Amino acid sequence: MGMGEILLKNAWVIDPISGINGEMMDIAMDGGRIVEDVSEKAEVIDAQGFLTLPGGIDSHTHTSGTKVNFGRYMSPEDMRAGRAPKKGAMHVTSGYSVPTTYGNSYKYSALGYTSLVEGAMAPLEARHTHEEFAFTPLQDSFANVLFDGNWGMLGAIEEGDIKRAAAIIAWTLSAVKGFAVKLTNPGGTEAWGFGKNVSCINQTMPRFDITPTEIIRSAIEANEILHLPHSVHLHCNNLGTPGNYTCTLGTFDIVPDLNDKRQTLYATHVQFHSYGGSGWSDFCSKSEPIARKVNMRPQIVIDMGQVMFGRTTTMTADGPMEFNLYRLHHDKWSNHDVELETGSGIIPVNYRKKNLVNSIMWAIGLELALLVESPWQCLLTTDNPNGAPFVKYPEIIALLMSKKYRDAEFATVHQDTGKRVPLPAIDRELTWHDIAVMTRAGQARALGITGVGKGYLLPGAEADIAVYPIRVDDIDPAQQYEEIIKGFSQTEYTIKRGRVVSRRGDALIHGENTTFWVKPNVPPEYDMTHDERFKQHFERYYSVRMSNYPVQEEYLHRNYCITTETDL
Amino acid sequence: MKVTITLRDRGNPLIPVEAEMVTPDVFLSGEGIIVGVGNRHVSLSDIADVHIEGTASSVGEVDIEIRGDSSRFKRVGEMMTGGSITIEGDIGMHCGNFMSGGSIEIMGSADGWLGREMKGGEIICHGDAGDYCGSGYRGGRKGMRGGSIEVVGSVGDFACEHIAGGEVIIRGNTGDYPCAEMKGGTVMILGDCSRVCANMSAGTCYVYGYADEMIPTFERIDCLERDGLRLHHFRGDVANRGHGDLYVARYGYLS
Repeated sequence: MGMGEILLKNAWVIDPISGINGEMMDIAMDGGRIVEDVSEKAEVIDAQGFLTLPGGIDSHTHTSGTKVNFGRYMSPEDMRAGRAPKKGAMHVTSGYSVPTTYGNSYKYSALGYTSLVEGAMAPLEARHTHEEFAFTPLQDSFANVLFDGNWGMLGAIEEGDIKRAAAIIAWTLSAVKGFAVKLTNPGGTEAWGFGKNVSCINQTMPRFDITPTEIIRSAIEANEILHLPHSVHLHCNNLGTPGNYTCTLGTFDIVPDLNDKRQTLYATHVQFHSYGGSGWSDFCSKSEPIARKVNMRPQIVIDMGQVMFGRTTTMTADGPMEFNLYRLHHDKWSNHDVELETGSGIIPVNYRKKNLVNSIMWAIGLELALLVESPWQCLLTTDNPNGAPFVKYPEIIALLMSKKYRDAEFATVHQDTGKRVPLPAIDRELTWHDIAVMTRAGQARALGITGVGKGYLLPGAEADIAVYPIRVDDIDPAQQYEEIIKGFSQTEYTIKRGRVVSRRGDALIHGENTTFWVKPNVPPEYDMTHDERFKQHFERYYSVRMSNYPVQEEYLHRNYCITTETDL
Repeated sequence: MKVTITLRDRGNPLIPVEAEMVTPDVFLSGEGIIVGVGNRHVSLSDIADVHIEGTASSVGEVDIEIRGDSSRFKRVGEMMTGGSITIEGDIGMHCGNFMSGGSIEIMGSADGWLGREMKGGEIICHGDAGDYCGSGYRGGRKGMRGGSIEVVGSVGDFACEHIAGGEVIIRGNTGDYPCAEMKGGTVMILGDCSRVCANMSAGTCYVYGYADEMIPTFERIDCLERDGLRLHHFRGDVANRGHGDLYVARYGYLS
């Protein structure tokens, strides 16, 4: 099927990167890209004045890879929901919080999403992630690569050799076809291999004589030496523990401002890191100091990690945190170690309104989005599926745009929540433009992928477009929040690389996605392929040979390599 | 309303039939009954002679009788809330799934998952039942929650897994791991069993026969008389901080 000429007429466009805020426009597409003009033969699609945004980008989600798949194995009951038979081009799907890959792809597409960043890929298990990417055909894919417990990198940091750490990151990223550097509970995940954790950023970890502070700082410096498109993507220490906000503030304080195009640190699912109190009995929201810190430090971008009520599955590389959750819930638990690199844990949870802690968590995510002044600095996520499955995004958008809806929901949560959170006192209602930033433009800029045509709608951009059945001038979002939920739940058209892939909730074609990966061009003396020490380390400790470790380019389907010039 | 469903001989009797619409509730509603035969959907009347006599004003007045080879008919009586179903021969898997009322009588044997996650009503099976009788489904945390099941013959493995309520009587023997993860309800096993009540947290289970390979993490409390038998009373599963009651006539540990 060719990617022919398409003319999308009467589109009411918000495109924050291009500075367009509500203009009626025609958008021409040819060969998968947006162009100035098309011929008269072009297929015409009438957008009927509906809200038209660049395709959605989820900068932190878990949809592909070993962890997600283990979530599927261990929760067969999750497959009872979301079951749909084969329909047209759509495959059979099942599952709710950990659906099948097609289930994820179709539902994301119905919400207008065209690009997904897998939040955590263990390098050793990269092949599995790429296999699932290939079967998530309606979204382009990016993989954050876990470096929190990478022995090679930690060793170089211990020696104080940042350039060597950068070289190891460069080699690993291009070997596993990854996109960015992810740190999950740096120091702590590795300590968990010895049954321990780290309390915060200044505690020395076992085996390596370094602290999380040194890991984070060094990874940031290495990341900037390599000129990677995205910044370091950090899951802070101490996720989910009462009082952890001080640790989060301390972490934000050590981040230098090193890049004038984007942030220097992307802190993910910050809701889980904004807790006050000394235990569960005095647990409370500390979203205010966290948001104030983010407002003062433009080098930081966060995402919400919003919790929504209902059943879901939590999964993270943060093994010790999942063990703590297991001790609270006493339900199923999976714990996994990835040799020399990282670990992971998975447990199913049910966030309940009757539960005070869950109600406070729900409020904190919203508070962060409302208290961080610039929408470019706080992006909309649920850390899918940890806080909630991504299908809840339309409800979150409505909560952010309507104080009335927030108050109505607040009346249904645990009655003591009001004493522990500032949410009822916040009057801010986000605008359509804010939402466009928090769901696509902000992601594109934070990920550094505007250069490959993501996140905007001017000629030259990839033709990834979402048309929502919403006439912005006809509804008052503050009052008609149900219209917002309905409008964002199902696009009129989702266009991916110049083809209509989804219409009114149904995927129309099988699709073909692109995996974006990064290859820093390092000078020969920093090429780890020929580094004797690195090779010896590999042969001595890994259970696979170094020659078998890299994911071959042929293993990926359609892919795009972003090369960077380094300062090595 | 009396419904008689006489199944015709099928070309390949091994192909399963998804018959979740065969319930008193659907016959009362007058909806057309569609069944899945292999990968095709057909009307019930394409594979059976359906004879309906009289009318009904409530589900309780609907009686269904199934004749012929129904051993591959799955999910008969799923979600039923009342009325009765009588099966002259054997019945396939998942008979009485989620039922909350009414009764099912099986003259022959039942396949696996008989009365899975049922909430009410009663099931009597005059033959044997397969694995997972009265249990929860894969990954589920609650099995049968109410109602009653009586199996005159024996049952397979994992009978009453995750059972959380209701009453089950098994007159024959059970396979391995009956009442695993038991959370409530009452189960009586009149025959023998092995590894009974593993990881139970609450509920009551009686074994009138021989309990082989008893789980060692049960605390022995005392002895009592019941139905002319002397029963040993155990409490557990201690490994799961459980406080379920297990009464066994005779038992042995793995030696």
